[in-house]
Amino acid sequence: MSEAAIDAREGITTVSRSFGRQAWDRFRRHRLAMFALVLLALLTLSFIVGPWLSPYAFSDQDFSALNQGPSLAHPFGTDPIGRDLMVRTFIGGRYSLRIALLIAVLTTVIGTVIGAVSGYFGGAIGAAVDQFINLFLIVPSLIILIVLANRYGSGPNAIAVVIALLAWPLIARIVRGSFLQFREQEFVLAARAAGASTRRIMFRHILPNVFGPIVVNATLLIGTAIILESTLGFLGLGVRPPVPTLGNLIAEAKGALQTKPSAALIPGGFIVAITLCANFIGDGLRDALDPTSRRS
Amino acid sequence: MTAPLLEVEDLRVTFGTDDGDVRAVQGLSFTVAEGETLAVVGESGSGKTVAALAIMRLLPRYARVEGTIRFRGTSLLDLDDAGMRDLQGDDLAMVFQDPMTALNPVMTIGDQIVEAVRTHRDVTEAAARDRAAELLDLVGIPEPRRRIDSYPHEFSGGMRQRAMIAMAISNDPKLLIADEPTTALDVTVQAQVMEVIRRVQEATGTAVMLVTHDLGLVAGTADRIQVMYGGRMFESGDTDTIFYGSRNPYTLGLMASIPSAMGRTARRLEPIPGSPPSLINLPEGCVFGPRCAFATDACRTEPALQVLDAATGHATRCHRAAELPALLAARAAGATDAGGAA
Amino acid sequence: MLAYSVRRVLATIPLLLLGTFIVYVLVAISGDPLAKLVTCTTCDQSAFDRIIDLYDLDKPIPERYVNWIVNAVQGDFGPAVSFGSIDAGALVLERAANSARVAVPAFLLIVTIAVALGVYSAVNQYSRLDYTVTGLSFLGISLPTFVFALLLQTIMIWMLEGFGWRPFYVTGMRTVELDGFLEMLRSHVLPVVTLVLVLTASESRFQRAAMLEVINSDYIRTARAKGVPRRRVILRHGLRNALIPMVTIWALDFAALLGGSVVTETIFAWPGLGPLFISAVSQLDLNLTMAIVMLTSLLVITFNLVADLAYGWLDPRIRYE
Repeated sequence: MSEAAIDAREGITTVSRSFGRQAWDRFRRHRLAMFALVLLALLTLSFIVGPWLSPYAFSDQDFSALNQGPSLAHPFGTDPIGRDLMVRTFIGGRYSLRIALLIAVLTTVIGTVIGAVSGYFGGAIGAAVDQFINLFLIVPSLIILIVLANRYGSGPNAIAVVIALLAWPLIARIVRGSFLQFREQEFVLAARAAGASTRRIMFRHILPNVFGPIVVNATLLIGTAIILESTLGFLGLGVRPPVPTLGNLIAEAKGALQTKPSAALIPGGFIVAITLCANFIGDGLRDALDPTSRRS
Repeated sequence: MTAPLLEVEDLRVTFGTDDGDVRAVQGLSFTVAEGETLAVVGESGSGKTVAALAIMRLLPRYARVEGTIRFRGTSLLDLDDAGMRDLQGDDLAMVFQDPMTALNPVMTIGDQIVEAVRTHRDVTEAAARDRAAELLDLVGIPEPRRRIDSYPHEFSGGMRQRAMIAMAISNDPKLLIADEPTTALDVTVQAQVMEVIRRVQEATGTAVMLVTHDLGLVAGTADRIQVMYGGRMFESGDTDTIFYGSRNPYTLGLMASIPSAMGRTARRLEPIPGSPPSLINLPEGCVFGPRCAFATDACRTEPALQVLDAATGHATRCHRAAELPALLAARAAGATDAGGAA
Repeated sequence: MLAYSVRRVLATIPLLLLGTFIVYVLVAISGDPLAKLVTCTTCDQSAFDRIIDLYDLDKPIPERYVNWIVNAVQGDFGPAVSFGSIDAGALVLERAANSARVAVPAFLLIVTIAVALGVYSAVNQYSRLDYTVTGLSFLGISLPTFVFALLLQTIMIWMLEGFGWRPFYVTGMRTVELDGFLEMLRSHVLPVVTLVLVLTASESRFQRAAMLEVINSDYIRTARAKGVPRRRVILRHGLRNALIPMVTIWALDFAALLGGSVVTETIFAWPGLGPLFISAVSQLDLNLTMAIVMLTSLLVITFNLVADLAYGWLDPRIRYE
């Protein structure tokens, strides 16, 4: 940060609008993020409403149209047993998005709590979290995933929980860093001197200051989760068919890449679209929620 | 009288932000003569650092700089980047506030000084190193031959600031701008660094523009003082005039808030109430009006900078400059009465 | 520094033991090698006994693990049962070499491109090129590896159909020794490009952020105040400081690449560690899984150490005693 910019900012002493209002104003000016927000809403809407409007159910077979490319009757084509790929893609999007949201929420909650505790108390708990993160560098997540899926099944919720149990260090590290930094600051010392309980200090005094990075990373996690889930599905290690997640659809279609690439590329396009939206929204939120990122 | 070394005329600096334009400097005009020491004093946000960076042309690109800055007759704002670089670090040098962050952590002190020398002088590496050692010696770093290969983190704060000064004067500048050179340092070290600046000035004859918030620091150093507030010049004059004959409530407020700056009388510290104005929504009229104890209806219009004494160059920006001594006397009498009653 | 390295390596041993133990237990409790024999009608008790003896199934898991680790440190990783019982250690090394054939060129390209793009777009922040690079890196981050790889394969298929010729092979590995230089090149391009795209996207973002922080720092302004030319300010003062935080990221990425990229190698049917790992875990081939985990762990530990030492070399504030 240059001295000049600091000086310029020091001039801004009147804050008339609320923080949330300001953040929203800044977010709105982030054109890409707004566009992504609208697009993600439209995608979600089509996943929810699309299957209702479609004349086909996701397992209906049309024997007059087996394994076809896009046509008027089947805009996304059909699979080898005549199922309509548009409705399957929408249902797949529904599952993938649901799993991704669940992963994002679970990971954020677990990561925030562990990060907060290890950052605030430091010492042994902090060291334990460190070692745990290091352990994950050695124990491949895939093994845990495969083994747990073997034991506890691989339904959408089970997969989401397993991924969340593996991904929480991503958030914990960020929250922990912030807590380490805030724990020594005057307002926390003041609250402690005033007799506030530890839990109150952690969650009422410090957590709101870490709110920005947590929200940003939770948003970015949605993108990461979609990619993770679909990659596992593609490798045949994710949610087990017949549940049609976007990754599973691509896995089913990859053998016919030569004759009908649309069956793999269309769900792939949806994955990219959702992930891009999540990343752009996260970026917009980062700018909007960080009070120091003012620019002309 | 010969042309001044530095001539700033109607300088305006504006930063565009999401919340509106920040007018950091508004219509600032002043000069610095060869060899003199000018202190620019004001609270943070007064525009003093921005003005200094504008002269050095070190403001970020999104800053709008208008007006004229002439250095030895050359208009700095009209120079191209290469032309400006020829001056930066040569005739025109700067010392920054925080010596902890202003030195490159991965280069030795010596390399950083050598770079300053060799950017402007066609000398060998060995000659530049000799020069660096000589400079470190001048600013009072013991065993300069050995310390030249130290990294910044191996120096204390005061030593780093000495090294910073050594680097700034390596090409015998005509004007040395020191931006809060002692603010980040311990009180005991502050005096030493000021002494180094004085010594350097004696040795090189450079003019010094000392930017600081600490009026007490400049008493023994400055030839002239100018006080800034809200991006504007509020008062300027020679050091004695400012200290003993100020005609500006803001300057008086600054002095009253210095612990025993004068040592004249034992009096209570009187902080200036309120805080510096928002540079986006400046108050109507006199920008100091809302905090001023003497504000009247007249202060709803912005006062012009009026010259009180052309000979000493004493000028002030206050509607009530003429009545100020009487007002102060009345106030002092009132305070004594109140004290007697208590 | 040598003492420091030795201490660091020693300090990772407990972690390595714990990690491999966890994997060992997870795999051991997941699969019962006898299960396959239960349905075998022609097998007599001696077949069961052979399996029990082979896997020490009559001993508790911790004891089996100790036996495994004692043999492993002597270089004996046991037979890879799912691969015709050839030596697991030798198999893993052979596949690791194949992974390295794409990992090394990919890593060199990633670092070169990411540094150039990140530095350039940070220095020209908010320029058209910065927006382009940022947009492309967002696309790269949002594009799952397998989707990009499938896209490349589809393009090759179209070229083959359209022109009767395609520049690059979509599956399989060809070597200079067996197929000649050109064939080797044609088979390596797509996997390398896939890895480069995915990792360059994220690394150039990190590099841009690191460089931005540096060029807004006070010491860069000091260098400018000395009149140092812009190019020199960026390269001499900026770059070195901006590379310091990248070292850890490079080390982890390179270790991950050398450890075999599961998705890329699977899609391009590359005989590397990635597909071998999936197959070993899916078939619960304990010896093979453990041999792979051992190698990937050692890679991570080694490159972490390399990163730490590089840190000390780049940043004089850090000293290892």
